[in-house]
Amino acid sequence: MIRKLFVSIILFSAISAHPVIFKNGKVFWITQNPSYNDIRFGVSKTSNWLIGGRFLEDRKSNETFALINNNYLAKRWNNKNSQANLYLLSSVGLNTKNSKSMGTVGINGDWEDRRFMVVQMLEYYSHNSAVVSNTRLAYSPYTVDYSKTSTWLIAQYRMEYSDNKYSYMFIPVVRLFKKNYLVEIGSNGDNAFLSFMTHF
Amino acid sequence: MKMFFVFFLLLSLGFSQSKVSIQDKEIKINENEAVVEVLGMVCSMCAFGIGEGFAKTDFIDKSKFTDGVSVDIDAQYVQLGLLESTNINPEKIVQVIEDAGYDVNLLYILQNEKLTKFSTDKLGILQPIAFNLTSEIES
Repeated sequence: MIRKLFVSIILFSAISAHPVIFKNGKVFWITQNPSYNDIRFGVSKTSNWLIGGRFLEDRKSNETFALINNNYLAKRWNNKNSQANLYLLSSVGLNTKNSKSMGTVGINGDWEDRRFMVVQMLEYYSHNSAVVSNTRLAYSPYTVDYSKTSTWLIAQYRMEYSDNKYSYMFIPVVRLFKKNYLVEIGSNGDNAFLSFMTHF
Repeated sequence: MKMFFVFFLLLSLGFSQSKVSIQDKEIKINENEAVVEVLGMVCSMCAFGIGEGFAKTDFIDKSKFTDGVSVDIDAQYVQLGLLESTNINPEKIVQVIEDAGYDVNLLYILQNEKLTKFSTDKLGILQPIAFNLTSEIES
């Protein structure tokens, strides 16, 4: 009971689109959200460890960072018709202008089946001491086979704590993916979210 | 009559077929094929890694299915074409699935007109649970 509660708390307090992929698989990933522009390239050395490079731009401060990105799949639950994951995430590197060191740490969990998905992610950014939480609840209105385009409707709630204040944001996002390509587009009128990912 | 006999013999060789069941779905399996129930395979991006993994092996017959692999996400199984000359080690199939990040629940291999069913035990070790399911094979 306590174990189930613990797992549930992690899943609902802490969870993205598979930060670690298949052994020797490569991933290219671009994300633009209200706070950051984020470009990543990585290689999964094993099925539970991905290492790569990350170029991060803080859109508020206009700082840019070159980082080494390290994602670890701590636990995966493969079940009939569903999957759950718990990832530990970190990045270390330098500010490209003044060479000051910078790092991020995060925890990311998800549960998904063919119709529903829950994603929660918590990430800390050292350069501005910001903590960012992204919560996602997603629904796929139809299921498709391997060769067709899958559609997900995502409710994304973002909370950021920095400079001693909280900011909150809700963005509806549409996710489309086919085979090894994934695109996400979202907007709430004031802010936009964009993401593209491919595995190869 | 002799020609008919030769034709019938040729037809029966290499055309053995059977049926297996994954999550209540009946799947036809032919000679030199495998059917694998994959736990956790819930999206096409998940399945892509499995296809990439099998493409790098030396036992897949790429003339069958799509580059040797057929994926059914709804019933959570992959069907593989196996090279005729290869006596497949089932552990190699399991390794590819695990390297993609997923688990094997059931595995069927039909080779040399012999259908073998494997299942992973509680320790995650693949065990043959039925041999020579010849009664199920239709020639």
